Amino acid sequence: MNPGFVIPTGWSALLPELALTGLIGLILIGDVLLKEEAGKILSGIAVAGLAAVGFLVAAQWDQPARTVLAGMFRMDMLAVFFKGIFTIAALTTVLIARQTPALIRRGLGEFYLLILTATLGMFLTASAGNLLMLFVALEMITISFYVMVSYHQEERSLEAGLKYLVLGSIASGLFLYGLAFLFGTTGTADLTEMAAVIQGGLTESPMLVLGLFLVLSSILFKSACVPFQLWAPDVYQGAPTPAVAFLSVGSKAAGFVVALRLLIELLLPLGGVWIPVVVFLSGATILAGNLGAIPQSNIKRLFGYSTIGHGGYLLIGIAAGSFLGTQAILFYLAAYAFTNLAAFLVITAFSKTTGSDEIRDYAGLSRRSPFLAAMFFLALLSLAGVPPLAGFFGKFLLILSAVDAGHGVLAGIGAIAVVISLYYYLMIVKTMYADEPADPSPVPVPTTLRIMLWICAAGMLGLGLIQKPLVNWAAAAAQTLF
Amino acid sequence: MIHPALFYSFSALTLLGALGAVAARHPMRAVLSLTVSLFGLSGLFVGLGAHFVAVIQILLYAGAILILFLFVVMLVESPETERMNIRNIWVKLLGIGFGAVLLRILWRVIGAGGEPPIAPHAVEGTVEAVGRELLTTYALPFEAASILLLVGIVGAIVLAKRKVT
Repeated sequence: MNPGFVIPTGWSALLPELALTGLIGLILIGDVLLKEEAGKILSGIAVAGLAAVGFLVAAQWDQPARTVLAGMFRMDMLAVFFKGIFTIAALTTVLIARQTPALIRRGLGEFYLLILTATLGMFLTASAGNLLMLFVALEMITISFYVMVSYHQEERSLEAGLKYLVLGSIASGLFLYGLAFLFGTTGTADLTEMAAVIQGGLTESPMLVLGLFLVLSSILFKSACVPFQLWAPDVYQGAPTPAVAFLSVGSKAAGFVVALRLLIELLLPLGGVWIPVVVFLSGATILAGNLGAIPQSNIKRLFGYSTIGHGGYLLIGIAAGSFLGTQAILFYLAAYAFTNLAAFLVITAFSKTTGSDEIRDYAGLSRRSPFLAAMFFLALLSLAGVPPLAGFFGKFLLILSAVDAGHGVLAGIGAIAVVISLYYYLMIVKTMYADEPADPSPVPVPTTLRIMLWICAAGMLGLGLIQKPLVNWAAAAAQTLF
Repeated sequence: MIHPALFYSFSALTLLGALGAVAARHPMRAVLSLTVSLFGLSGLFVGLGAHFVAVIQILLYAGAILILFLFVVMLVESPETERMNIRNIWVKLLGIGFGAVLLRILWRVIGAGGEPPIAPHAVEGTVEAVGRELLTTYALPFEAASILLLVGIVGAIVLAKRKVT
């Protein structure tokens, strides 16, 4: 009558998550206790804590894969790889937040808290072994972002927050609806058991296909891909810069870890149904992002379009449906993290002094701050995919995986879009180097941003010149799925 | 197992309520229709043996969340919000188009075969069974949900805080 009360075991696999939860508690209490100078002390705690979490994540690398807590949590190389990216993004976001005057005015404590809860959500998303866990984790990310995006409480920021909230809620609804169909067809919410049922020959079930497409729509929303990309430019322009930086790197990576877990690991037997769709959407996303970016005059809005383009490139790897594609996605995401964070560090430093995000105000930046201009130049080249930078090798791997999977046209679109993107990225470079500055006063760069920029530059150049270690790590992580 | 007549009447209640919520022009009517829909849904849960979920559905949704909706509707009501009329015909057509596509797919799904390929596990929907599952099998998502609630609370306070100058 009374089945044994089984306490789930294996919490030790959750060491980084537990540390992160502790850090969240510390920030929450610290923000209440410290009144004066709370921002500085809290950012110190957040940075130190995230560094410690980073070490705990790194310590899990090369450990054998484990599934603990009744199948809810999976610790494997893929999850650890993604957690590394999330940690770097969160750490940089904390440092960016500290340099954003509008945020400082509104109180930084809560913002740090939201960064950390979003990070915890991302960690759990990467490790989720059950549909229920996955949904809760994704909601944790999205709800944190709703607040971060509207943090300024200026008209633009609120408008961005509202748009993100309405569209995000629809995407969450679609996701849940899709999960219900997946659960109904396979009779289980456990991802490992589900994979076994689907491989047992469920590919013909139309109910499964319906679930698949609903889940796919929601993934496309999270990673800002066609036809759910429209929110990105508005949100990017209106939201506080740190929120945008985190959104572009962390949230995008989270979208793709879900795509890898559900589409590649779980639903690859149904590849015949979804791969043609994803191939088409990938091409459409690349073109929509890169063509949309051309006429933009606001730097953050331009990055809103450019991030759509990069989402399209990442979809190439999903469309390839192969080990090579997965490996390419992982490399690209790591390279993109360093590159995009570098760009947002520059945008933060620039707008801190000038208070502007308009591209025309970047005129003559090479004379006002040669360091910032050079770093921005490097980041833009890497984003466009110019050798020998990290972005080039990432794009190269993705296009290679498309050719390998027989998607020649998609590979062609990917290659052509590099040229389009070079146009609008180099227009910024021209503004920075060739145009006369309206106000020649120098733009100072705070020390923390300077250090982070050097690290990102080292990442962009290092990953571009010596690709082997990261390629090997990406291969080890991709191995989890195959 | 629920009697077919009961199943169909609860389903009709759910669907008509949902339809009313979408079609109603006055927000107040939309909210009240939603209440009807949630009651019907709760009846369906009882039919599935999920008694706890059925009770929670009424207590939380009909009891708490919809009351909150009503408060919001009454507090922010102004002549402009009184009528939620989507004037743009294209938006309407787009919505109808999406709905039609989804309905078509669902129709095929339903037509494809009566029984689902795998019957879900029979669950015991009592408070004890749900509580036991929450604190053993689902301990991690349960704990994660508490952080989620924390985010919700902090977020609401941050956004409601008076503008700092």
